[in-house]
Amino acid sequence: MRYAFLDEEAKKEIRRSILKAIAIPGYIVGFASRELPVARGWGTGGLQVTLAIINEEDTLKVIDQGCDGSVNAVNIRNFIKSVTKVNTTTKTLDASIIQTRHRVPEIDLQEGQTLVYQVPMPDILETVEPNISKAKLLHANADYSKLWVLLYEDTSMYGDSRISNRYPVMVNDRYAMDPSPIPKYDTPKLNDCKALQLFGAGREKKIYAIPPYTKVEPLKFEDREFKVENFDGKACARCGSVHSFLDEVYDDEGKATYYCNDTDYCDTQKEKQGNN
Amino acid sequence: MAYYAIKGGEEAIKNSLDFYGDITKESEKLDDKDLIEGLTYSIDRVISEGSLYTKKLAAQAIKRSAGDLLNASFFLRAHRSSCQRIGIAKTVDINDMRLTRRISSAFKDIEGGQLLGPSNDYEIKLLVDLENIETNIEEYSTKDNIIKSAMSPLREDNLIKILPKEDKPWDITRSYPTEPYPRSAVLQVMARAETGSLLCVGYTTMRGYGDIHPTIGDLRIGELDIEFTHPFTKNEVKVGSIEATAVECVGTFNQDEDGDTKLTTGFGFCFGKNETKAISMSMIDLSLYNTHYSVGGEHIIAADFDMIMHHLDGIESFGMTNHFKLPHYVTFQTDYQIFKSAQKYTDDKKEEEKGLAK
Repeated sequence: MRYAFLDEEAKKEIRRSILKAIAIPGYIVGFASRELPVARGWGTGGLQVTLAIINEEDTLKVIDQGCDGSVNAVNIRNFIKSVTKVNTTTKTLDASIIQTRHRVPEIDLQEGQTLVYQVPMPDILETVEPNISKAKLLHANADYSKLWVLLYEDTSMYGDSRISNRYPVMVNDRYAMDPSPIPKYDTPKLNDCKALQLFGAGREKKIYAIPPYTKVEPLKFEDREFKVENFDGKACARCGSVHSFLDEVYDDEGKATYYCNDTDYCDTQKEKQGNN
Repeated sequence: MAYYAIKGGEEAIKNSLDFYGDITKESEKLDDKDLIEGLTYSIDRVISEGSLYTKKLAAQAIKRSAGDLLNASFFLRAHRSSCQRIGIAKTVDINDMRLTRRISSAFKDIEGGQLLGPSNDYEIKLLVDLENIETNIEEYSTKDNIIKSAMSPLREDNLIKILPKEDKPWDITRSYPTEPYPRSAVLQVMARAETGSLLCVGYTTMRGYGDIHPTIGDLRIGELDIEFTHPFTKNEVKVGSIEATAVECVGTFNQDEDGDTKLTTGFGFCFGKNETKAISMSMIDLSLYNTHYSVGGEHIIAADFDMIMHHLDGIESFGMTNHFKLPHYVTFQTDYQIFKSAQKYTDDKKEEEKGLAK
């Protein structure tokens, strides 16, 4: 088996697409997208990005829905490890590459780190313009009026946008971008981030990027505040955190308890308290 | 404790695979040769959708997925990504095919005649055996049967609209095009498309969503030699042969750009014996490139390039559909919060209106 599974031509092509994506923040770059032994829609875009950039000195972390131990994360981590022999970690700060599905880690990312997102739908315009050719033209003209109309209609009907996750963001004042299905809670973390953020969509064959220290703002009317998920009055039942995205878990009696969604963050908090 | 339910993925995967292995282990006992020769149409479907011509690996893939053919194609596609490309073979010409079957619905009398070959088109599909039916195998020649397409005379007489030839065919496995999609790329997408998807879209051209009136001009199944330029001697050498299906269908006529009245054709080609797939492909090809020849409207599903390029791949649609099995509780949690605040907003508004009405 070749190092990092993909053949050298594929890795070269993906790296070139990544470089182009970094050079034009938020712009969607096409690539051929190889088939992997993991199904389409299960993270093949993120995987191809990771496999193209990873080397022996990297330390890899893979999370799915905030957790290192969930089946998809385990599966992807084991696959990458088996074809690269890199060290893996669950600690956000120890990782040089973090591949993620649906979450940005709670702990602030650092310079030199790369966050690789698995992206199901790369083009934020897809909801309002399913025709790819027309959407490309809209991006070229920075014409996001359809998104604004959607936002306006929702706001007038429901007081706010109905979009809960993959909330549209404006990157570097130029491209409207799909931030992958992260909750609104994570959207502000994209802005001015110290780490490089790479987005890979395998089925849709697209790569895009946010370089470190780039301005990323949610699409929002000037007189409306951007509201994220609210966990006021709730705390993690395990580590006591009141500053993290919480999962609602119901016990057999139907009583809700809250736990940190980011399991590494929760473990770190516990360690700090010294009673782990 | 519920919190830990999500962890322990390592063990859960192992157990799940053990269970899967348990219910599929009988398939491992099957012999590759029996599959290749016995389930030949399954093998052909898998090499076609998996876009890798290897009957041996297809047999293994079918065993690994215990007969789930889409899953088996997925194994082949994944394997394909780990193969280094050493070069590109010479373009094959379907007129050079050593035929095992070749029919035309457009012409009664064609050069070389109608060659039914292996087909169960006319079998009475009953699972119980009908008695008193004798089968006599007709004597047949083992000589190579190479006959050019039944459409060739019409083409030679300049009666058929010919689409511009591309200098170099596109390769969708190396770069995926955006609009305008080159025809070579569109045909490749269809050649490796999922049979059912292709059939479904092809079917739309016949009922309700366009009417292209296709007639099968030439349907052929046979073997084609694959030639390759030897890297050292620079000679053309035969590196093997493939079994393939090719279809040329004929549509209706209209005036071309020069004002000449021409017939239109569509082309379908895929690995193995896959008649339904190749026919569907030829109809979609016809529909895409000859919208104004269609009797029905021009804005039909099978004439929409984006629709064809992005929705026919079985491996992709299968993967995406199955990804819904993955947890989505983060997105659902946030959906739920948004829903609750929207509900509160509309309820408050209703209350407010009631207050005003009083």
